[in-house]
Amino acid sequence: MPEHVRFNRNRREFLTDCFCGVGSLAFASMMVREQALAARYNPLAPKPPHMPAKAKAVIFVYMAGGPSHLETFDPKPLLNELHGQKRPAEFGEAKYQFVDDKSRLLGTKRTFKKYGKSGIDVSDLFPYQSEIVDDLCIIRSMYGDMVVHSAAQYQMMTGRVIPGFPAMGSWVLYGLGAETESLPAYVVMPDARGAQEAGVPMYTHGFLPAVYQPSMFRPGKKPVLNLEMPQGVSPERRRKTIDLIRGLNEDNLVGEDPEFAARISAYDTAFKMQTEAPEIFDISGEPQETLDMYGVGDPKTDDYGRRCLLARRMVENGVRFVCVVSGGGSGNQEWDAHSDIEENHTRMAGQTDKPVAALIRDLKRRGLLDSTIVLWGGEFGRSPESQGSTGRDHHALGFTMYLAGGGFKGGTIYGATDAIGLKAVENPVHFRDLHATMLHQLGLNQDQLSYMHQGRKERLTEVHGRIIQDIIG
Amino acid sequence: MFAVQGKDPTMRVRATALVIAAVTMSAANELTAPLETYKAAERRHWAFQPVKDAAPPVFTAPAEKTWVKTPVDAFILGKLKQEKLKPAPAAGRATLIRRATFDMHGLPPSPEEIDAFVRDKSPNAWEKVVGRLLDSPAYGEQWGRHWLDVVRFAESDGYEYDLHRPDAWRYRDYVIHSLNSDRPYNQFLTEQLAGDEIDPDNEIHQVASGFNRLGALRKNAGNQEVASSRNEVLTEMTNIVGASLLGVTLGCARCHDHKFDPIRHTDYYRMQGYFAQAQPHEIMLADEEEQKEWKSKVDPLRREMRLVQSQMRKAEGDDKTRLEQKLEEIEEQMPPPLTALYSIKNDPEKAAPIHVLARGEYLNKGAKVGMRPLGILLTDEIPELPVATEKPRTRLAAWITDPANPLTARVMVNRIWHYHFGRGIVSTPNDFGRMGGRPSHPELLDWLATRFVEGGWKMKPIHRMILLSSVYRQSSRSPMESAAADRDAENALLWKFNRRRLAAEEIRDSMLFASGRLNTKVGGPSVLLPIDPELVLLLKRPKLWVKTKDESEYDRRSIYLIHKRNLRLPFMEVFDMPDMMFSCARREQSTHAPQALELLNGKVSNDLAGALAERLLKEHKTAEARVHHAFRLIAGRLPNAKEKARALKYLAEGPADPEVWKEFALGVMNLNAFLYVN
Repeated sequence: MPEHVRFNRNRREFLTDCFCGVGSLAFASMMVREQALAARYNPLAPKPPHMPAKAKAVIFVYMAGGPSHLETFDPKPLLNELHGQKRPAEFGEAKYQFVDDKSRLLGTKRTFKKYGKSGIDVSDLFPYQSEIVDDLCIIRSMYGDMVVHSAAQYQMMTGRVIPGFPAMGSWVLYGLGAETESLPAYVVMPDARGAQEAGVPMYTHGFLPAVYQPSMFRPGKKPVLNLEMPQGVSPERRRKTIDLIRGLNEDNLVGEDPEFAARISAYDTAFKMQTEAPEIFDISGEPQETLDMYGVGDPKTDDYGRRCLLARRMVENGVRFVCVVSGGGSGNQEWDAHSDIEENHTRMAGQTDKPVAALIRDLKRRGLLDSTIVLWGGEFGRSPESQGSTGRDHHALGFTMYLAGGGFKGGTIYGATDAIGLKAVENPVHFRDLHATMLHQLGLNQDQLSYMHQGRKERLTEVHGRIIQDIIG
Repeated sequence: MFAVQGKDPTMRVRATALVIAAVTMSAANELTAPLETYKAAERRHWAFQPVKDAAPPVFTAPAEKTWVKTPVDAFILGKLKQEKLKPAPAAGRATLIRRATFDMHGLPPSPEEIDAFVRDKSPNAWEKVVGRLLDSPAYGEQWGRHWLDVVRFAESDGYEYDLHRPDAWRYRDYVIHSLNSDRPYNQFLTEQLAGDEIDPDNEIHQVASGFNRLGALRKNAGNQEVASSRNEVLTEMTNIVGASLLGVTLGCARCHDHKFDPIRHTDYYRMQGYFAQAQPHEIMLADEEEQKEWKSKVDPLRREMRLVQSQMRKAEGDDKTRLEQKLEEIEEQMPPPLTALYSIKNDPEKAAPIHVLARGEYLNKGAKVGMRPLGILLTDEIPELPVATEKPRTRLAAWITDPANPLTARVMVNRIWHYHFGRGIVSTPNDFGRMGGRPSHPELLDWLATRFVEGGWKMKPIHRMILLSSVYRQSSRSPMESAAADRDAENALLWKFNRRRLAAEEIRDSMLFASGRLNTKVGGPSVLLPIDPELVLLLKRPKLWVKTKDESEYDRRSIYLIHKRNLRLPFMEVFDMPDMMFSCARREQSTHAPQALELLNGKVSNDLAGALAERLLKEHKTAEARVHHAFRLIAGRLPNAKEKARALKYLAEGPADPEVWKEFALGVMNLNAFLYVN
């Protein structure tokens, strides 16, 4: 049986179930038919990419609420010089949520230094990520179309400003299938403090079949719904019940019935998940050095550190797409620093800097970084103008995201904002360009990766994603 | 009014009258976008042709004459013969009654109903079953659910706040009642599109016209622009008419001319013109006492909000942020809205001109347009009307339900066919355009559409005709399976019946039924189940999930559970319940491990397995009798010898152990014999 046919049974069993009484069929034609059937009845069967792929998995470390580019990766000395003044007219107009024409420019209190062989500027907010800057491909010229959270979040995740469209995780799973049967292949690890404005719909499969839905992890030791047996049932009893189900289902198989065979096989997979996934969720076997590196045990970084470590374990075990969310609930528990950028970003960076850097290092030393895209960033950046005296408003005209691994050029800066960080002026990169480029690295062609819906061939990148050739190797 | 190529003189008369009316009315307007023209080739697409009433083929061979029980059969047999295929033999009675009961009620037949039919020797035994199925109120609950999919019914706004619409159930009940009373489909559509215009004093009409407000609604923080929100509302109102009523992908023409179908960018906005005056309208049902009490809670909150808002205008920085937060906190304390009908009404004062929007963006205004139906279905000279025309939606409804409209009746009979057979005569029920499927039996489609209109747009006679046909009564296995599959793998020609997996709601409802817990109460406010608090915490506004107090409500049919856009029950979601953002014409039937996990470990199935086990233990004495009963409840038949032996062997390990019986009950609820209908 070809490897990508994922029925959990050996070839003989499969054929007995599906094709009994057709022993005289030519072997080769059976193989062809089997592959077609596998794809039809097991939509998660791994699919070959459209072209040779650089990466096979994605981890999105999502800084929810919109982290400031001006405090992290995009130093603007002029902004400090102009602190307290009105925005000079030559920078043009900008549409904000709250900031108005009475607002004044706000300099940053962060200090920037050059790091690594590449000599890239990183602020003192990120003492750990600055050390791995040679692995980062920093896009300083991101832009989106929306300045309210929900719409911007939908656009970042699904390419559209309204809910109802599939998220990139679902698209990638749809395009490539799953390489694990022990774990859900698309995982979102939300922040236990609460939801984002766009809610679960920004992560979901939209109009794609439910098989491509995300598994929304819950906090604690039992992250996946229904993975635990109900209380009071002994494992032996349950194994026998599953045998009973299989037996009764097989008693009813008549002739060639791949759909029923797939359903029987889904129970094997379920049982496998039930037994194997908890081992993967259990990080207690990790060496102390690794736990320390991620900041597990330190109250400040424990939560995000655990989730980043879990993300690595997921990818290591064949999970296709993981989103690790930093921030949730009220705005100030996210990177949504309306009132005090210093207080907010120092706190949020304190929770995530060490874990994110550890994740990238850890992937690298395990040889996984080459095949894993790590994406850092949020739905937008923050305004050069102050909101109040110390806060920054939402800002979608120019901000920073970075990529690591997955064939992206480390130690690179791509694009630039203007001298005060207002607008992306050099090589602007829209979300859909980012999506197109990530798909490309995963071996997926943005036009081929389509799904017919309401009379349209829908794609993640809608009608126009530009692959950014300069940042891929 | 239609570009009818036949020579129906009445159509021409009507068209002329409309032209005259339109010309008089449009004298004062200042329309700029010119009317479109359409090429002959574009007009030739099959779906835009008038419906033709073809006679069913006639058969003379005795076997064929016997098989052809209704004209439907004649069309099917004709095609099968052409392809040298044969229909499958008739399904057994137990299989047939299970199939039809799920089809018509979304529930299994009771063992007594199965027995009665199997034993009924009278020649009209099947007719009696069909009559009973059509007369039961469960019919409206099952077919109402289909309609709710098509119109993307939900009881919350969607987007981040996902505020609830506590009275939206009235529309759901209107749909169920309409189907049960076989309200003519043309009337059903007219009431939904324009009930408020036709009879504003009629509560039923007002509820029906809530159809126009079923879409998701953005109410988000920050400086949401009024014009942008209005554009989104108009988009929702317009797109759904294309997808659900006309079977055309009208939404594709919002940004530019349709890429494949002859629907121009201007056509889209001319259709939108019918909604230019439409504004939401809440009709208060609460009595004075309730209104007073509500006001006494709301007034102080509103005063407080106004105060905060006025402070915000002066405030800066931190203060302003704090005030914003405070505002949101006050808003969360607001009591739920008073009981009201969610309707719509025309407000000509607020009707902004409709412009063609480049790329669908509200700031990218192009030429102005009036209102006019789809150009491809009109003769070129039919002018548009100004958007201020009186009763615009009544006009739209009249056009849609005009018997000469080639789409409306075809689309609906195709939906009916689709739900009966698992596949439409057109395999894409929401898309009759070039990218959709071609009809497998065009004459049958037209024949059904003609009978539908002729019979006063009543659905039940169409159901009856289909249920009584031989094609419906075929087995889902054919003796020539592999040869037939080589020729027609999709079974588009219906050489056998299509087996299907139960839909999410059917699975849950049947488990409730089998366990004896189903609460068959009809109608009323929707139920909020107690669910895992961690799921609720994934909502931006978790406080909105207030579980229903009366626990007996938890066992009601799934159509009565709240349809909340941002929180589908995991059980429903995993079995392919659609997301209620777009019209859903056809549900997915996916198969994957999380479904197995849900049925094995989930709360719904384990809870109901316990109830089924109790029922088996209570109602029967021996293990054998209990196994028989379980199979009859779950699979609508007795176990075969192999199944019985296997079950008894499993149970022999703990014949008196309730845990073993519970696990056995869970086991049978996981069987293909339960989840699939032959």
